[in-house]
Amino acid sequence: MNDFAALGAKIKAADGPGEAIKAFLRQAVEKKVADAVLVPVKVPAGNSYAWILVTDMSILDDASPVAPVMPVQGAKALKSLTRKGHGELTVMAVMRPCEIRATFELLKLNQVNLEKVVLVSYDCPGAIPFRDYVKDPGFGEKNFQAVMAAGGPAEKNVKPACVICDEFSRVDSDIHFGWFGESGSSVLVIPSSDRGVEVLGSMGMECSDDIAGWKKTISGLKEKKTGKRTATLTETAKTIQGLDGLLGTFSECIGCHNCMAVCPICYCRQCYFDSEVAKKTPDFILETAKKRGGLAFPSDRVMFHTGRMTHMSLSCVSCGMCTDACPVDIHVAEVFSYMADITQPAFEYTAGRNDGVPLPLRKYEEKEVPQVHEIVKEAEGEEAAHE
Amino acid sequence: MEKTFVPRITSFLCTWCSYTGADLAGTGRMQYPTAIIPIKVMCSSRVDPVFILKAYLKGSDGVFLGGCHPGDCHYEVGNYHTRRRFAIVKKIFESLGLEAERLRLSWISASEGPKFARVANEFTEKIIEMGENEAKKKIFL
Repeated sequence: MNDFAALGAKIKAADGPGEAIKAFLRQAVEKKVADAVLVPVKVPAGNSYAWILVTDMSILDDASPVAPVMPVQGAKALKSLTRKGHGELTVMAVMRPCEIRATFELLKLNQVNLEKVVLVSYDCPGAIPFRDYVKDPGFGEKNFQAVMAAGGPAEKNVKPACVICDEFSRVDSDIHFGWFGESGSSVLVIPSSDRGVEVLGSMGMECSDDIAGWKKTISGLKEKKTGKRTATLTETAKTIQGLDGLLGTFSECIGCHNCMAVCPICYCRQCYFDSEVAKKTPDFILETAKKRGGLAFPSDRVMFHTGRMTHMSLSCVSCGMCTDACPVDIHVAEVFSYMADITQPAFEYTAGRNDGVPLPLRKYEEKEVPQVHEIVKEAEGEEAAHE
Repeated sequence: MEKTFVPRITSFLCTWCSYTGADLAGTGRMQYPTAIIPIKVMCSSRVDPVFILKAYLKGSDGVFLGGCHPGDCHYEVGNYHTRRRFAIVKKIFESLGLEAERLRLSWISASEGPKFARVANEFTEKIIEMGENEAKKKIFL
């Protein structure tokens, strides 16, 4: 995270951070800093939210920048918008921190173009599990109001991934809205990148308010959440040990591949596991069944999940979309977060940063980083003997 | 008579180095176990982590990955990528409590027939010691 400014602009937010962000967006469009904004807007049926690229600002009245649910990961929305490059219009996108972090992973995979995008993040209290919300939107809204009123990262009533999220605040976005720990009537607008400084400058916003107090609040909350994350994932680890552990965890898996479909990182047009090469001939299947005495269908469920671990755990931002989409309530997000916390440090990589560091499997070091070296040293040792 | 355990070791060998090395071991009449089932790949970095997982979950008792020595890759940097791919699979195996010792990476050049035979023997012995891969019997996998 770039520590861009020690200063931010305190603005009035009598009706909460959501309204403050909307006022900011209106002002941005008025001042011609942005031509359109990408925000969640409640669908007419009233039971969900959709990403809308708003050009007519009157639509903004119905928008909820801080939406209670995440039906589509924001990075995915931004991908469909900028997959073919950027246009003439500048878009201001308001997203959760995990959505912005996923966006940077997609940027490294050349799936989004941020040339004309201003990323706006906010202190995120968490999101309500989507299925709970759809079942009873009224109750969901009430729940979320309570979550917002608490004024910090929520510990219950939100997605399991949010309960253990320690990246709920400022990420490498351009502009951040900090409101945790602030008094109910104000929020801090904090520039977090060169572009952010520029945007706030051309909007005539003066950043003269000290943000040290807010920073302190955040780091305190963060520490608590990191502890929670570690504790939860340690428990998760115990449930997935060995083939039997994996089989137990994924025993309910119905093979719908929803977790993959909603994952912002799984961008491949065709997944290996859905491809023709992954399909077996009847002879091969019979042969396997004969050897084992039987074979479950659909088969290869453990292979699918462990295979995904090798493919995307290095970019996993723990947004929890997978758990949200799982029809049989497998705690996919915890399993992947556990794996991410192991594989990313092994390559000295942190997913979700706009730091220009390439993805671990797209680069190499002639002299490898310690953990990789430790693993391949057996082979390298042989080489030393050979020399 | 007791049935002796002959393991199956799926071996991905790069065509330029390790496969040629294996060939040399053969033409030199060096003995190495029949457990080694070679699969020729154009480069060791062609081996996606999923290939290794698949071999293991489908019941291979061992998975062997052979490539050129670092710096000697026919495609210049392929085996540097192999190193990282192998590392992530190994890391995942370890953190899932799977038998990471069933996976082996080795650099064997085209001229190292004897080394190929030695590594093949060593690895096969180790796998025989470890016994059968339990995945072989899991009908729900």
